[in-house]
Amino acid sequence: MIDIRRRTTFFFLAVSLGHVLLISAQVQTKSGMPLVEDLAFGAFARVQGVMSGIGDAISSTWRNYFALRGVVAENAALRAELGRLQGQLQAETAISSQTHQLEQMLQLQMTVPQRTLAARVIAGDPAPGALTITIDRGTADGVRANLAVIGPGGVVGRVFGEPQPHAAKVQLLIGRSAAAGAVIPRISAGGVAIGLGVGEDPPMHLQYINKSYEIVAGDTVLTSGQDGIFPAGFLIGTIERAERGGGTTYKLVAIRPAVNFSHLDLVLVVLDPPPSGGAGK
Amino acid sequence: MKAVGVIGVVVAAVALQMAFARFTVGGRWSIDLVLVGVALIALKWGPGAGVIGGTLGGLTQDALAGGTIGVGGLAKTIVGFFVGVVGSQFIVARPVPRMVVVAGATVAHRLLMQAIVSAIGLHWAGVSWLGMLSETGLNAVTALIVFQSIETVPALLRHRPMRRSAFGKRKW
Repeated sequence: MIDIRRRTTFFFLAVSLGHVLLISAQVQTKSGMPLVEDLAFGAFARVQGVMSGIGDAISSTWRNYFALRGVVAENAALRAELGRLQGQLQAETAISSQTHQLEQMLQLQMTVPQRTLAARVIAGDPAPGALTITIDRGTADGVRANLAVIGPGGVVGRVFGEPQPHAAKVQLLIGRSAAAGAVIPRISAGGVAIGLGVGEDPPMHLQYINKSYEIVAGDTVLTSGQDGIFPAGFLIGTIERAERGGGTTYKLVAIRPAVNFSHLDLVLVVLDPPPSGGAGK
Repeated sequence: MKAVGVIGVVVAAVALQMAFARFTVGGRWSIDLVLVGVALIALKWGPGAGVIGGTLGGLTQDALAGGTIGVGGLAKTIVGFFVGVVGSQFIVARPVPRMVVVAGATVAHRLLMQAIVSAIGLHWAGVSWLGMLSETGLNAVTALIVFQSIETVPALLRHRPMRRSAFGKRKW
């Protein structure tokens, strides 16, 4: 026995199809194909697309899940091996980096006429903005207060305060209260390189440069040796910009430091201070 | 009896629609009394009758309008079927719920018409929301009046002969 509601539904569908056929007999699509043919083709293409998608999904499920049951254990073993190799790689990288730095330090040590002492940086800022580091050399190694500390790139800072037997604190040159006698060798203009502290970019200024000097960006700035701390001729940085300044007779000169202060590992302590006396700022 | 009723409602609706059409052509307001008739048929006699009523009413309108025959027929057939399904599945015996059903049917019918026309012309013709709103409102009000009349008029007709006979007995 046929359900009357189902029969009504079939009746509705049949009548609707009749309407579509009726419309199709009168209307053609832009391609010249009768509408019903166009609709059938479109609908069949959609069905084919859906069937193809279902087939792909089933195939993908089989390939990615059911056919890979043994891969879990293999994956775990490979992960363990990968972890071991990553650790080994990091160790090798660290050794390589240290060797490279030691080579640089050795070369620097050979070029520096003064006696120097290699030291390893063992600690950074004790407080945010302090801009100091701690090295593993102290009074037992001949380190004293106000000795210059340099790195492969240039001047790092000075030994700050009284060092411990096996450790010393180094004030970085970019610190707010740090300074060094400086000179621009191209024009032989002398001044004082001072640190500006955290948050300044660039973090150093060169002061007391007379306005009459023609300074260009890229000029190198070296230590002058006049401060009694830093020996002459060490690289401080390069000029980034120079402005005439307001009512003063000096220029405002910004210096980009040569040393990457965010990546200090090995430094040299210059054991022989320059002959001229005077305390660093 | 049902077939006669369906045909009668369709004919009456088409006749009334043509009578009112001259007041609404080119204006902002529009009304589709045939759709109201189809909804009435579907709600009264079920989805099968709705299909027949929609087919007859829609095709008649299409033939009289001079456009592509079958567009209105298909839209009204679909609407008639689903209004009949709603009428058989839910309690929509009172005039107000029926008015709401007619309002919904009007919106669905207009959207179906737009969709079919767009499919034939291979572009979306767009929907005049103001026109749809006015048609929905007028159809719903008309449906309310019609359904209210259907409920009250037979009762009045049943009561009038009784009063007349009583009066006659007293007179004669």
